[in-house]
Amino acid sequence: MDTAISLTGVSKAFGKFRAVDNLTLSVPRGAMFGLLGPNGAGKTTTIRMIMNITAPDSGDIQILGHPMDRRTQNRIGYLPEERGLYRKMKVIDHLYFLAAIKEVGRDEARRRIDDWLDKMELRPWLNKKVDELSKGMQQKIQFIATIVHDPDILILDEPFSGLDPINVALMRDFFVEFRQRGKTIVFCTHVLEQAEKLCDEICLMARSRKILEGSMKELKRRYSQDLLRISVDASLADVQGLPGVASAKALNGTFVVGLTPGADRREFLRRALERYRIDAFSQKEPELEEIYIDAVKSAGIEDRVIE
Amino acid sequence: MNWKKTFAVARREYVERVRTRAFWIATLLIPILFLGYVAVQISISRKTGGERQLVVVDLTGKLYQPLVQELAETEAKQKEKGSSSRGPHWSLTQQAPAADLAAQKEALRKEVLQKKINGYLILEPAKLDKDEVEYYSTTVSDYIAQSQLQSAIGRIWMRQKMTARGLPADLARELETRIDLKAFKVTEKGTAEEKGAGIIAALVLLILMYSTFFMYGYQVMRGTIEEKSNRIVEIIVASVRPTELMVGKILGIGLVGLTQYFVWSLVAANLSLPAFASLLSSSDMGMPRVPVSLLGYFMLFFLLGYFLYASVYTMIAAPFNTDQEAQQLAMIPMVLIVGGIAVYPGVMNNPTGGMALFFSLFPFTASLIMFLRTAVSEPPVWQILLCVAILLGTTAALAWFAGRIYRVGILMYGKKPTIPEIIRWARYSPGKVTQPAVKPS
Repeated sequence: MDTAISLTGVSKAFGKFRAVDNLTLSVPRGAMFGLLGPNGAGKTTTIRMIMNITAPDSGDIQILGHPMDRRTQNRIGYLPEERGLYRKMKVIDHLYFLAAIKEVGRDEARRRIDDWLDKMELRPWLNKKVDELSKGMQQKIQFIATIVHDPDILILDEPFSGLDPINVALMRDFFVEFRQRGKTIVFCTHVLEQAEKLCDEICLMARSRKILEGSMKELKRRYSQDLLRISVDASLADVQGLPGVASAKALNGTFVVGLTPGADRREFLRRALERYRIDAFSQKEPELEEIYIDAVKSAGIEDRVIE
Repeated sequence: MNWKKTFAVARREYVERVRTRAFWIATLLIPILFLGYVAVQISISRKTGGERQLVVVDLTGKLYQPLVQELAETEAKQKEKGSSSRGPHWSLTQQAPAADLAAQKEALRKEVLQKKINGYLILEPAKLDKDEVEYYSTTVSDYIAQSQLQSAIGRIWMRQKMTARGLPADLARELETRIDLKAFKVTEKGTAEEKGAGIIAALVLLILMYSTFFMYGYQVMRGTIEEKSNRIVEIIVASVRPTELMVGKILGIGLVGLTQYFVWSLVAANLSLPAFASLLSSSDMGMPRVPVSLLGYFMLFFLLGYFLYASVYTMIAAPFNTDQEAQQLAMIPMVLIVGGIAVYPGVMNNPTGGMALFFSLFPFTASLIMFLRTAVSEPPVWQILLCVAILLGTTAALAWFAGRIYRVGILMYGKKPTIPEIIRWARYSPGKVTQPAVKPS
């Protein structure tokens, strides 16, 4: 069994609004999977359907080879985007409660909570009320709550929002460590730079639909074939006038050139050399953002600019 | 339903609430306040046994003396019987009617206001012919004193009319009959004289039930809204089904209510009751007999009513993010609960009548009214069973509907939804819960 989560033809509408439209995707086991897209793309609804918080109108969702049930629910750790805590509860009671609703036994919970309190340096706040804690500390508690039952799959919806850089780094280390233990992480965000650093598999969503899916390496390779960076003594208009050029833009004294699909790269180079002096030439590794914008365009979906 | 998770939720609700200082203050303070209230009531009612200064202006010229005598006799008889409705000690003074009656009344009015006298009585032949007598006092709601005065004058006036028609005075006295109605409650177990204390106990329990519907229903609403405004609800529903969260919350808070009752009954048994008993016995009402069956019915109808109203309050809370937004709809259960209290006097008067039957079967008043009926009469078993069935059925339907709204509502933030929107939510496809293939160990 090498699929952690698979969705087949999943749709969900709220009244007339289609939140998710015929979504099919599969998250391989052990992957750091990025579910990406702008706000309102349908990411959170997708995740809520995976978590069986909202039910799909149609389609099938399988988790670790089964439909979601009580047992699988206890094997997932979920950090929602909208997250909070009971403000009047003591930290320690709160952690035990969150472990209890994942059916972690009392002794097991004590051991794990103990362990995490040390890792997160929260021990001095054990008997304080959640109210008295800083935002950052509250987020650490939410994170402990997500993993206290040692889940096989972690689903994190905008996990870094509102975190300071130190805690972002701390969290990232935990995610990497978690993954090294063979666990699956679904990472949901609209901040593409974060995803680019962490994920090895992604699914891009826009306007309720999937527009791109695959491994990060594969996607970059696919898109880089058409993307070149050249340093040349010519104007932008000159570069745009070369054969096979679909797009060109100036970037730090060089040009990033996108070739029309199927255009011959050697042909483009030869013609460029005939006319201008080329100082440097390289294949450009595309930014995730560029891949995204390109994919949105070619899918014919007009969309908001990503932040 | 995963009961393990449901109980984890219920446990949290219970422990967190019972731990608060506010809970213990309310739990210990309410019986003390209540006892104080009863003590004040009883001491007020005993004060009516005090002296009453009354000026009598007798325009007939023949009623004053017999009235003094009659009132003295009444007092003597009551003392002898030790009746519960003991009236005041009357001290009458006669004032000759002045030529200007209006001016005389005005002068007496001033005396009453200056508290020189408690009141005055005008006996006019013209009014008496129409069976009327004017009584002026600062308090005209003093039921016992007024009825004593009324019947005393009535008897004298009747006696005088009879002698005027030629009946001998002793015969007139003999014909006069005073009936003392003794009320016995007929039950299957026999008959028992009802002195009023039993009814008071039932009413106290009724008010208690009524106010706890409010208190705990409101807590269910607040708790639900709080989970949303705290933004914790999505963390919880990732582990617990919304239905389990809802049921757990209702159970936990209901248990807090039962704990409060339990503490109250302990306080009552150990502290208030002896004090209460001494007050009551000195007021001649007798000790309230609270049969165990009444307490059983109280628990039954409290729980049934609480579950029903808790479902209503959940339904109201789920779509909203703040108490203020929910306030408007919170009027609905409030009116329904108050409705149950509003109809109780009618039910008391005729606990076996059609109105009593209707309200004891109408789901939103049933718990209060059926409890009252079991306290003051003995409703047929089929009616009690039907009432329980109606309550359970309505609660199941409401809980189902509330669950559907809750499921959607708890994840809705931002704009306050309209009622048609909320109703539409109930039609969204529900989350399916599949049974685990293998039972988790």
